[in-house]
Amino acid sequence: MVAEAGTTRRAVDSGWWSRALANNAPGYLFLLPWLIGFLGLTIGPIVTSLYLSFTNFDLLTAPRWVGADNYIRMFTNDAKFLASMRVTLFFVIFSVPLKLAFALGVALLLNRGMKGLPVYRALFYLPSLLGASVAIAILWRQLFAGDGVVNQFLAPLGIVGPSWISNPRYSLWTLIILSIWQFGSPMIIFLAGLRQIPQDMYEAASLEGASKWRVFWRITLPMLTPVVFFNAIIQTIEAFKSFTPAFIISAGTGNPINSTLFYTLYLYQEAFGFFRMGYASALAWFLLLLVACFTAFSFLTSKYWVHYDD
Amino acid sequence: MTIRLDRRQFLLGSTALAAAAGISPAFAQQALRLIFWGSQARADRTYGVTDLYAQAGGPEIEGEFLAWNDYWPKLATQTAGGNAPDVIQMDYRYIVEYATRQAIAPLDEFVGGALQLADFDQDQLDGGKVDGKLYGISLGANSVALMINTADFEKAGVPVPGPTTTYADFEAMADAFAAAGVGKKVLADGSGSEPMFENWLRQRGKALYTAEGGLAWEEGDAIDWFTMWAGLRDKGVCVNAEDQALDTGPLETTMLTLNKASVIPSNSNQLVAFQAINQDRITISNFPRIATDAPGGHYRKPSMFFSVAGGSGNKEEAAKFVSYFVNSPDASKVLGVERGIPCSKSVREALAPTLDEQSQIALNFVANLGPLLGALPPSPPAKAGEIDASLFRVISREVGFGARSAEDAGKALFSGANDILSRAS
Repeated sequence: MVAEAGTTRRAVDSGWWSRALANNAPGYLFLLPWLIGFLGLTIGPIVTSLYLSFTNFDLLTAPRWVGADNYIRMFTNDAKFLASMRVTLFFVIFSVPLKLAFALGVALLLNRGMKGLPVYRALFYLPSLLGASVAIAILWRQLFAGDGVVNQFLAPLGIVGPSWISNPRYSLWTLIILSIWQFGSPMIIFLAGLRQIPQDMYEAASLEGASKWRVFWRITLPMLTPVVFFNAIIQTIEAFKSFTPAFIISAGTGNPINSTLFYTLYLYQEAFGFFRMGYASALAWFLLLLVACFTAFSFLTSKYWVHYDD
Repeated sequence: MTIRLDRRQFLLGSTALAAAAGISPAFAQQALRLIFWGSQARADRTYGVTDLYAQAGGPEIEGEFLAWNDYWPKLATQTAGGNAPDVIQMDYRYIVEYATRQAIAPLDEFVGGALQLADFDQDQLDGGKVDGKLYGISLGANSVALMINTADFEKAGVPVPGPTTTYADFEAMADAFAAAGVGKKVLADGSGSEPMFENWLRQRGKALYTAEGGLAWEEGDAIDWFTMWAGLRDKGVCVNAEDQALDTGPLETTMLTLNKASVIPSNSNQLVAFQAINQDRITISNFPRIATDAPGGHYRKPSMFFSVAGGSGNKEEAAKFVSYFVNSPDASKVLGVERGIPCSKSVREALAPTLDEQSQIALNFVANLGPLLGALPPSPPAKAGEIDASLFRVISREVGFGARSAEDAGKALFSGANDILSRAS
C-alpha cells in the first residue's frame, strides 16, 4: 500500500524523497537504536561472512582470497560435510512431522472445551520455552544416560536399556524426542486454527451422521492446512538450525562417532574448533541456500494441498 | 546528530569506567587481565595468588577461566578482536602458532628485570622458546601418568600398576577384579587418548610428529595400536565403547570419576584435581609398558605456560606478575603442584615440606621418572589438534562400536592424518 502510494507520488513530484525523509524523520529517529544494531550487528556480519566464505581466514592472520575453493571442497572432498548433512536431514525428516502430529493431537484434545484449558495450555507450552536451553540439554543427558531415569523406569519391566545418549544407534533419536517434546508453539497455533473452523460445518456433518474419524479427515484437517503449512515451514527451518541440544549433549563433538554431528555443529567445529572461518562461512551460506530452497519448494507445492477457504 | 550520539556513548562509557574504578581500590594502576583454562580447583588457587599479588602492592588482576574445549575459541576470538587479555595461559600445542603470528610477545627483554628466571630449569625454559626467543614461562613440569583408584586394587587384592607393569599385565588384573567383584573395569578405553598413543609410539622408538611437522609413525603402528585395544576390549580389560562415550573431556566425566574404570590416562599434575572430586584415594604411575625392556616413553613436559599478549599495553607489568607467579614462595604455597612441579629450584625446595600427601606423590613421580624419561619431542604441527579431535578420537570409537575393524581404522587414521596435514588451510 505504502509503496504504491509512493510510486504515484514520485511520478508527479521530484522532491518526493527529501519530503518523505523530512516527514518520516521522527520515525527513523525512533528507529535509530534498532537500526544501528540491525546494520552493525546483523547486516554487517552477514555481508562480511559472504566475503569471508571466499577466503581462508584463521582469525589470527588476515583473510586470504581463495575464490570458490571452499564451496568446491564442500562437495568434492569433505566426507564430514556429507556425514553432517545426512544427520541433519534425518533429524529434519523425522522430527518435524512427528512433532507436528503430536502438537496437533494435543491441540485436538485441548479443543474439546475442557475445564481449566488455560492452565493445560500453559503447562503444555512450558517445554517450548525451556526446550532449546542448556539446562534442558543437560537434563536430557541425565535422563538418557546408562543409569539415567529412563532406564530406571525400564528396569522393573525387565528391560536393561543401553546408554541412549552414548550409543550411536540411539543418540540421534534422543535428540528427536527432545525436539518433539517442545511441541508447545505449534500446538498453540493449531489450537488457534481449530477455533477458526466454522462451527456450522461440524453441525452439518453431525446431521449427516458422519463419524468422528471422517469429520477429522474431511473437515478439520482440510480447514487446518494453512496452519499446518505455516507450522511445517517454521519447524523445518528451526530443525535445520538446531544446535544447542546436540552441542551440549555431545559436548560439542557430535559424538558418539559423529552420530549427532548436526550441520550447525560441524560448522561450529570448523569455525571455533579448527579456526577455519572462511570455510565455516561457506558452510553457513550453503545452509541458508538449502533452507531457502526447502521453503520455496514448500510454497510451490502448497497450492496442491493447502486449502484457503476464502 | 552523530556528535550527540557519540557524546551519549561517551557519557555511558565513562560512567561505566567510573563505576569500575569505584570498585577497584587502585585507580592509578591499570588492572591486568588474565585468562586460563582449568577446573574450579585451579581457579581457586589462581585467584588466591592474584589476591596475594594485589595485597603486595601489585595491580588488580581480572581473571577469567574456562574449560579446555571452550578456552581456545574464546582466546582466538579475543585475539582476532584485538582484545586479548594481558596474561594468557598457553599450551605446548598452540605456542608456535600464537608466537609466529605475534599474538604473544617475546619476553627476552624482560629477563633479569621484570622477569626473574635465575634458578629456572633449563629444559622448562627451552620448552617455552620458539625460534630461539622466549614466548612462554613454564608454570610447572609434568608428565603423562595413570590415575589409579587404590581402593579398587585393595579390594581385588592385587598391587597397583607400577614402573614395570605392561599392557599385557592388565589382563591378569582384570581377572582379579572380576573374581573379587569390584564391579568396574580395570582400564578406561585409551585407544582414543593421543598422549597414550604417543607414549606407546615412543616405546616403539617412534614419535607422533617429526620436527618438520609430518607423521613419525607408519600405518602398521596404528593398526597394531587399535588391534591391541580391540583385544583389551574383547577380554573385558577396558570399558566398552558405550561407557567410554560418556567421557566428554572434563574430569567429572572420566571413567575414573564415573566409577566405570579404576585406571585412566591423564597428567601427573591432575592428581590434585582428581583427588578433590573422588572419595577413594587416588595415586599415579607411569603409562603401561609394551615390554619391560622397552624405553618408558615419558618426557618432562611444560604443563602449561604463561605468555603475554602481543597487543598488551602493559607487557612489563604482565611480565612482573608472571615472575611473581613462578618465583614467590608465598604464591607457590597457594598453587601447590596443581599446574605441575615448580620450575624454580628454590621454590621447589621451599614448597616440598609444606605439601600434602597427594602433592608429594605427584612431585616425587615427576622427580623420579629417571630411566623412563626420553627427550622432549618437537612441538606438534598446528593441525595436530584437529587430527586428535576430529579423526583419532572418532576412529577409535568407531572401532569400539564395531563400525570399523582395527586394520581398517589404522589405515583410515594414517591416510586421514596425512590429508589433514596436507590441507592448505
